[in-house]
Amino acid sequence: MSTTSRESSSAGRYGKVGQVLNELDDRLGVAKGGRTFLDKIFPDHWSFMLGEIALYSFMVLMLTGVFLTLYYVPSQTVVTYNGSYLPLFGQKMSEAYASTVNLSFAVRGGLLMRQMHHWAADIFAGAIVVHMARIFFTGAFRKPRELNWTIGTTLLILAIANGFLGYSLPDDLVSGTGIRIMYSIILSVPVVGTYVAFFLFGGNFPGTDILARFFILHVLVIPLIILGLVGAHLFLLVRQKHTQFPGPGRTENNVVGSPMFPVFMAKTTGFLMFVTGVIALLGAFAQINPIWQFGPYFASRISYAVQPDWYMGFLDGALRIFPAWEFTGFGHTIPLEVTIPAVIFPGILFTAIFAWPAIERRYTGDNALHNLLDRPHNRPKRTAAGVAVTMLLTMLFIASSTDVIANYFKISLNTVLWAMRVLVIVIPLLSYPLAYRIAKEMQGVSGIGKRKVTNVVVRTDEGEYVATPAPTYVDDAHHELDPVPVPTFIDGALDEVAGEPDTLETTPGVRRVER
Amino acid sequence: MKISSRFSLGLLVGVLAAAPLITLATAAGASSQTPYQTGAANSGTPNSSMVVKNSSGAVTSYGNGAITYTVPSPALATLGQSLYLENCASCHGVNANGVPADGTSGAFPNLVGLGSATIDFWIESGRMPAANPRSVQADRRTPRLTHDQAVAIAAWINSLDPSYPAIPTPHLAGANVADGAALFALNCAACHTIEGDGDALAQGTYAPSLRNIPAFQVVEAIRTGPGNMPRFTGNLSDYQVRDIVAYVTEYLQHPRNPGGLGLGGLGPVAEGFVGLLIGVGLLALIGYWVGERQ
Repeated sequence: MSTTSRESSSAGRYGKVGQVLNELDDRLGVAKGGRTFLDKIFPDHWSFMLGEIALYSFMVLMLTGVFLTLYYVPSQTVVTYNGSYLPLFGQKMSEAYASTVNLSFAVRGGLLMRQMHHWAADIFAGAIVVHMARIFFTGAFRKPRELNWTIGTTLLILAIANGFLGYSLPDDLVSGTGIRIMYSIILSVPVVGTYVAFFLFGGNFPGTDILARFFILHVLVIPLIILGLVGAHLFLLVRQKHTQFPGPGRTENNVVGSPMFPVFMAKTTGFLMFVTGVIALLGAFAQINPIWQFGPYFASRISYAVQPDWYMGFLDGALRIFPAWEFTGFGHTIPLEVTIPAVIFPGILFTAIFAWPAIERRYTGDNALHNLLDRPHNRPKRTAAGVAVTMLLTMLFIASSTDVIANYFKISLNTVLWAMRVLVIVIPLLSYPLAYRIAKEMQGVSGIGKRKVTNVVVRTDEGEYVATPAPTYVDDAHHELDPVPVPTFIDGALDEVAGEPDTLETTPGVRRVER
Repeated sequence: MKISSRFSLGLLVGVLAAAPLITLATAAGASSQTPYQTGAANSGTPNSSMVVKNSSGAVTSYGNGAITYTVPSPALATLGQSLYLENCASCHGVNANGVPADGTSGAFPNLVGLGSATIDFWIESGRMPAANPRSVQADRRTPRLTHDQAVAIAAWINSLDPSYPAIPTPHLAGANVADGAALFALNCAACHTIEGDGDALAQGTYAPSLRNIPAFQVVEAIRTGPGNMPRFTGNLSDYQVRDIVAYVTEYLQHPRNPGGLGLGGLGPVAEGFVGLLIGVGLLALIGYWVGERQ
């Protein structure tokens, strides 16, 4: 913090902006922290942007979600619909369903907000998974970043859980079926299942409390936890600094990339606009979850061909293809065909994900700090394991639409079911050695990971064709900016920082700081 | 035996319920300003006093004017027989009793006594003559016979043993699509899906899509129960069938998609693909464009 008192009227080198910042620094001492923040170096490889898709779609989720809470009524009181959609007119339905239809049809912009919210949720979960895959395959979870891997995995579970809760809130025929399945999954837990289910639902299914409880969980409890964990995730990211891919001038002990201001801030703000823009376009032009076509949920009604949102697909698929095993004994029944695929399997899966950094450390005996990322082909066993698990989940995901596949391709549903049972086991077992082999092969190829050089073919006057390598593609070169000193908005702030940032030895434009 | 006892029970209930029903209907008509309000005449089981039966106890008409059932003219029977012999007899036999010339009895359905609506439905939906007589389920195709030819064949088969239901014509004016939507969710969605797309059932059978079915064929299917489909007779009045048909033809076949592209009505499967490929995929590409590639 600057201890020098300055005349507030005197505009310094940076004019009015600098003056405002000086005023702030005098009162809050923002210069030092702000300067560090603006100087933070971001290695801006494109794959580092994947996590930002999740971050920004979460912002869209919060903004559109606040709008939706203004009109949604979390009540299972039965009302008669008398809105503008004729096929529902006069039908009995829960107030929750009626309010969701009304906010879609009778509130200006309501349907757009609902659709943006739903698309943002699908993209949020998707971006987390893709981001996580990047972290996994490049080994970014290794020491010292195991804690952030744990936080990230928790965020994925919370995103899936909150997605399911939000999907359930409209109380339409499709989501009501989903709640019923969830109730049965909870019931299938040995010993405590019935107690937990009754505790959660306030009695037997469907009861009259569950939507109000889901609502508070969905809009308050889980978003708050997500928000806190995102904060912790980003704090650790700044504190531990970014990882980076190996490259010229990059070592375990430095970070090479663009500073927060102005380069990265411009990029990330632009990216925020793109994320909100894509979600808004999807919300405007692609219809999602048309609940008015589904009608209200009653326990007596059912629709065939009901699938969950994509992030629940692997659970639905596991439930669909698991054989009908049941354990009966000691006066109790345990429905293993539900317990194993829907409780034990995800339990094992997420435990393995949480434990992976520890498992790998134990297996490799590698206890060193890692700031440089792995190229996936240089860690063939990890890559192959990741590919095998990804393929297992993909097969289960595909299994959640057995009926659609059977109907679309005119194959017997029973054949599809048995094919998926086989593929779920065979494909991961085949993909492990295949991925391992490919990774091993790639290790032996020179110039792997680099763009292939284009040839320019010239026809000479004699009719001969001569191929010469083209000059390096302009975007393929390591594009760097001219070195410019980071602007010091606040007079005297530089005095606080120990010397100039180390710009020696850097290739032009990119800055390097010690960790 | 079972059906007739159900009808007599219905008759009893109908008589007992008739007086309060009529009162309710009057009250609803008087108090309601909108034509879409659920009226007593539109809900519940058929008003049994309206059911018209012939001497052998078969229902010839539900008598309330929402659907007209037309028995094909016996004058068409001669034409129908020759069309039958050309197109159907190789499997169903020259006497329409399901025994073809090679005597493989039991392999093909006996058509005698099925009612003209059944014959008309299978021919006019293009399922008969079958493309592959040994397939698990006949597919809907472009009909090979015209409407008049189908009615003629129905007339001949009907002349062998006059039976019902006859060929229906629904009168959709004044139908209550809200009742139709609720009845559809209760009776049809479990196989045809709530959006009417149809879906695969066990062992190669499937519930067909309802997206392009003419109104009278929806009635025929409901009243005759083709293939695996149950036959809905006593539990749905003609008013209710008409409401379902109106909902199917006016809404399921022309879905309101105020939210943009309907994505084929495949629900979360299509939505997941769009969300992941267009949403996350496009944004990852943009990230590739914004970020560094080295």
